Amino acid sequence: MNLTRTWIINGEARTVEFPPMRRLLDVLREDLGLKGTKEGCGEGECGACSVLLNGEVVTSCLVAAGQVEDGATDSDRGGSGEDRGWPRTAAGLHRKGRGPVRFLHPGHDWSLPMPICPSGQPDLTDLAMRDAHAGNICRCTGYAKIMEAVAAAAERWPKGGRNP
Amino acid sequence: MRAGDETMTLAETKQYNQVGRSVPRVDADEKVRGLAVYADDVPVPDCWYAEVVRSPVSCGRLKKLTFDPVFDWSRVCVVTPADIPGENIVDMIGRDMPFIAHDWIQYRGEPLALIAAPTRALAREAAAHVQAEIETAPALLTLQELVARYKADPAQLHRQAAQTIVKGDVEKGLAEADVVVEGEYWAGHQEQLYIEPQGMLAIPEEDGGVYLQGSLQCPYYIAPELIITLKLPLEKIRVQQTAVGGAFGGKEEFPTLIAGYCALLALKCRKPVKLIYDRHQDILYTTKRHPVWVKHRTGLKKDGRITAMHVDFLLDGGAYTTLSPVVMYRGILHTTLGYRCENVLVDGHVYRTNTFPNGAFRGFGAPQAIWALEAHMDVCAEKVGMAPHAFRLHNALHVGDRTATGQVLSEPMGTPDVLEKTLERSQFAARLPHCSHGKPGQATWYGIGLAFFGHGSGFTGDGESRLKSKAALDLEYFEDGRPGVSIRISSTEMGQGTLTIMPQIAADALSVDLASVRCPLADTKYAPDSGPTVASRTTMVVGSTVHGAALKMRKALEDFASSALQGGEPVTLEGGHFRAHFSGQVRSFADVAGAYLKQHGPLRVYHQFQLPATIQWDQKTFRGDSYPSYSWGCNVAEVEVDALTLEIRVKKVTSYWDIGRLINPMLAKGQIEGGLVQALGYAVMEKMSIKDGLYDASRMQTYVVPTALDVPELDVQFIEYPYTHAAPGAKGVGEIPMDGLGRRCATRCTRPPGCASTTCRSRRKNY
Repeated sequence: MNLTRTWIINGEARTVEFPPMRRLLDVLREDLGLKGTKEGCGEGECGACSVLLNGEVVTSCLVAAGQVEDGATDSDRGGSGEDRGWPRTAAGLHRKGRGPVRFLHPGHDWSLPMPICPSGQPDLTDLAMRDAHAGNICRCTGYAKIMEAVAAAAERWPKGGRNP
Repeated sequence: MRAGDETMTLAETKQYNQVGRSVPRVDADEKVRGLAVYADDVPVPDCWYAEVVRSPVSCGRLKKLTFDPVFDWSRVCVVTPADIPGENIVDMIGRDMPFIAHDWIQYRGEPLALIAAPTRALAREAAAHVQAEIETAPALLTLQELVARYKADPAQLHRQAAQTIVKGDVEKGLAEADVVVEGEYWAGHQEQLYIEPQGMLAIPEEDGGVYLQGSLQCPYYIAPELIITLKLPLEKIRVQQTAVGGAFGGKEEFPTLIAGYCALLALKCRKPVKLIYDRHQDILYTTKRHPVWVKHRTGLKKDGRITAMHVDFLLDGGAYTTLSPVVMYRGILHTTLGYRCENVLVDGHVYRTNTFPNGAFRGFGAPQAIWALEAHMDVCAEKVGMAPHAFRLHNALHVGDRTATGQVLSEPMGTPDVLEKTLERSQFAARLPHCSHGKPGQATWYGIGLAFFGHGSGFTGDGESRLKSKAALDLEYFEDGRPGVSIRISSTEMGQGTLTIMPQIAADALSVDLASVRCPLADTKYAPDSGPTVASRTTMVVGSTVHGAALKMRKALEDFASSALQGGEPVTLEGGHFRAHFSGQVRSFADVAGAYLKQHGPLRVYHQFQLPATIQWDQKTFRGDSYPSYSWGCNVAEVEVDALTLEIRVKKVTSYWDIGRLINPMLAKGQIEGGLVQALGYAVMEKMSIKDGLYDASRMQTYVVPTALDVPELDVQFIEYPYTHAAPGAKGVGEIPMDGLGRRCATRCTRPPGCASTTCRSRRKNY
């Protein structure tokens, strides 16, 4: 039996019907036409399908869509984060114009909010930044440019700390 | 319009020097936001999905294919060899691979039939209802078996290619030597693991042709290679690249296969057909880096001078030839490169095994050759009692020296400069004595290793002359109504920055601002054949071709401005403005371009790449100038090994690179960093063997590549020795970072007693 759910995606209410065990990735890409989320491995290893679900980064290939309740907020790509007062990390990557940019950056983009100190400010120690990105495989950049972009994005972090 | 050029400030003029600037990627924004359209993102109404029925055995004879009558076959489209309009041949070197097996099966996973259906699920269901009756035959599956048989009796093996390089007299050189050092070196498969899997879309056209869109490197490989199979003229096969999420050679020749599958199905069912591999299929059924076995026999004088190099270089080609001969050529040309030696004999071979055909992967045979060479040079240094760096400094090629093919390195270049500078920056000599050499009682062992190497830029020998690669520039209106210049090349953007650097080069040659130039994605409908996006050739060869075309367009527009607008007064285009020589009248680029378009319509100019006449090459004997130029690099890697688990952690890589003139330093550095991390994966993490005819690591869970946490500190420095024969003077950057990561040397310094470092793999699993 299909489920019908209404989610807030990229700031917009979207109603969608699907079999409960359908992958969130497929509901986003195929049923809702949100192609910004990519399938890289289908088993939660590469991070290309990462989306922001109620403030948490999840790999949408491992989430059964039926687990996502009505009213859940979800984002599949950059810009929308601004709607909720998030710094636009995509701009951090873009403004610095970092080196090779290939397939995975939608995922990397959403992992950017992760390295946070208890104070609510970005934790820019090398280990914290790398740890936050260890779930996003990049085969092109060698990660150096991505780490520079994380540091650049941190400059734009709201002084009040992380918004839930 | 500007009143006069003298008011232009220094800051303003600077924007007309784009080459050498770290211009941000033009496609960064759409990629970061997830808006770029990859193969699986192309919206196609009424699209069908393809599935391949594959052989369950590695070698055998196909007796019969049965289509289960329980299944309703009217709902799907099936293609078997009988449905192929032309010849059932993949038209690559050797022409030995069928699109669909019809008699002999040579590898497990070889296509037996193709199926398309309105849903992926239905296509898979149909494929499961095809049964094959196969008479199995003995299969040769691994490099170990192959080498054992090669040593016993090579005549019993199926040889796909062979080539020899001869310089001087190797026997004489060995006889002169005080000591002869032998070594055997092995390396296994490596998976490209681009994050975007293989994907292709075929749309049947009204005129009987086919329009292919996909994730690919070489549009002009696919179109001509499908002619004989589809029985279509070239102009009826249109190939366009979508956004490409990494390729590394994996999307060089392989996409011809899935393009063929999709096109055959689309032309039969008259529907658009899409084939997107999932990761498991992508690892199992696409090309890999060739496994290699190299045997070195080197003659040395007591003072460390090399008197002879005898190398046997053997590649496991897999079931069919693909590009293996060319991979082997690049391998043997790099297997002694970097060192002075007057007596060289190199024997290269490629043999068949019953595994998926191996193919292109960044470096193209050179990483395998250099891994063996550099490991062996360390052994040689030890045998004559020299430190690894002293031995290399003693033997490194200098300007004026001759390579193994007799090429005189005449232009100023980065050897031995990169070696000297890396040694100094990394303080190699001072750190070398700290190596632990597997000393008992220590929790962590320290090691430091060195690799020095060159990489030929562009195609082998006079290949670039024979290819006659062309670029076109179109003066036309952009979508926003401005007149501008579009660069038409078949070089693809696969993440490395083609779309960014080409406008930099063209804008400078035209002397206009960057906003007036764009480079659309490669499409055979609009772009001439500027060759494939391979062989570290795009920036150097296609970049200089674009440069030449831009100079022609600049001249054409200057002539137009002079005759049509200035009554014959000479006019120069500079800094985005046309200035009349005598009257001093100034017109903007947009004004003149707009006037041209109004009067004459769009303007197209072509340019063809030329090698200097001094490049001479004999493809039969492998004598002469094997590459128009070489890039050079040197890595020093510092590693720590956990004495208990033998886990290797590379802590720091210090490196210098000569890749000619830097067009975009940020992108160049990104290429080097990314390549180093891929090389690091090859050296210490990525492991793949053959089990029952298939790769045992067939998922990202089992094929482990470096994450952000595995990456060492990367210290990347450049020294610029520009390519002297064509502007703007870039040499190759794409492949060289894959060539030499010093872990093989580093682990020699840390290895436990009795552990030979002859396999290019982490050995931690073996303890």
